[in-house]
Amino acid sequence: MGFWEPLFFWFFAFGALLTSCAVIFTRNPLYCALALIADFFCFAGLYVLLSAHFMAVIQVLVYGGAIMVLFLFIIMLLNLRDDQLADNRFQVHYLLGIAGGVLFFLFSTNAILAVVDMEAVEEGREAAVVQMEEDEPIMVATPSAIPGEAPEYFVGDEEQWQALFRPLHADASEMAVETAYRERLRGWRDGVAQPSDGKYEPFNPDRQYELPPSLHPEVVELDPQGEYKAHATPGRKGLYGTFKPISVKLVNRFVVPFELTAILLLASIVGAVILAKRRVS
Amino acid sequence: MSWEPTLAHFLILSAAVFSIGLVGVMIRRNAIIVFMSIELMLNSVNLSFIAFARYRFEMDGHVFAFFVMAVAAAEAAVALAIVIHVFRHKRSVSVDELADLKY
Repeated sequence: MGFWEPLFFWFFAFGALLTSCAVIFTRNPLYCALALIADFFCFAGLYVLLSAHFMAVIQVLVYGGAIMVLFLFIIMLLNLRDDQLADNRFQVHYLLGIAGGVLFFLFSTNAILAVVDMEAVEEGREAAVVQMEEDEPIMVATPSAIPGEAPEYFVGDEEQWQALFRPLHADASEMAVETAYRERLRGWRDGVAQPSDGKYEPFNPDRQYELPPSLHPEVVELDPQGEYKAHATPGRKGLYGTFKPISVKLVNRFVVPFELTAILLLASIVGAVILAKRRVS
Repeated sequence: MSWEPTLAHFLILSAAVFSIGLVGVMIRRNAIIVFMSIELMLNSVNLSFIAFARYRFEMDGHVFAFFVMAVAAAEAAVALAIVIHVFRHKRSVSVDELADLKY
């Protein structure tokens, strides 16, 4: 984390908050739609800050492109007159709604801060900075505040329960995220960690897991001329957050939801056409 | 709260945007803007999925956000078709007019 990343975070965060307020408080639906487009772009910026480059692209393409065109098209098609806008008078339930929203926000923030131990996060980040300067693998503890004893409903022993809350990644740089992600891929290939292959078996250290060819760290580190590089390219040219791991997951572990999504989209297309037709002949 | 963003910053931002979307659903009566508020809420959930994904080095959260986007697209298509249908019958997009099932 240098100087620019926090700056961009606060820029996009305040942008997202302002534009979402504009969405719900401006009267004209056209202005609402334009504020929503700005909001989606702010979210795309936040995704980039979280190293989710592919999701940022999809956010702009699908939300900022397809869905917003749909909204704008409907607003233009209906061409509402001023008396048809339906939000023309102030009512008491405005205040009740805003109070409910504020209460919900306070409740959820309280819950988040109870689970995420902020002091531990601070310590973990300082440790991460120290480790990064020493060129060591970046795995430092930013533990959550969830208590350590395994509850009764947990199937497994105390060790497995503790492994659920093992030390996690602090707020290290993009390069540290990439390093840790490659470490995880190597762990899959070498059979010391379990990939998400959709077969819900208990972890077996003797079993050889087959990593998909596209995710082999060595293959990834090939340059276009087919020669191995000495090191992975640091910075923002890594594997985490790109399309390859997502596509491997989509056709392995998540293949059933993926196909169900296809059916859902088909059904919604047919449903939208039938609903919007004047008369089904 | 520190100047540099951590997981909690992203989660609280997500909660704030979700609350704003919730307020929008509750106080607006224009059906199109109610749907926009629902899109806001879906987006904020995506943000927390992706923040957790980075926190854990797993990319399953990205896949879930991907599914949420697909469902949001399907929902927007059907919902806007319903809005057109309602507008043809009632000449209005106010959700207050859609109280026929109440009686």
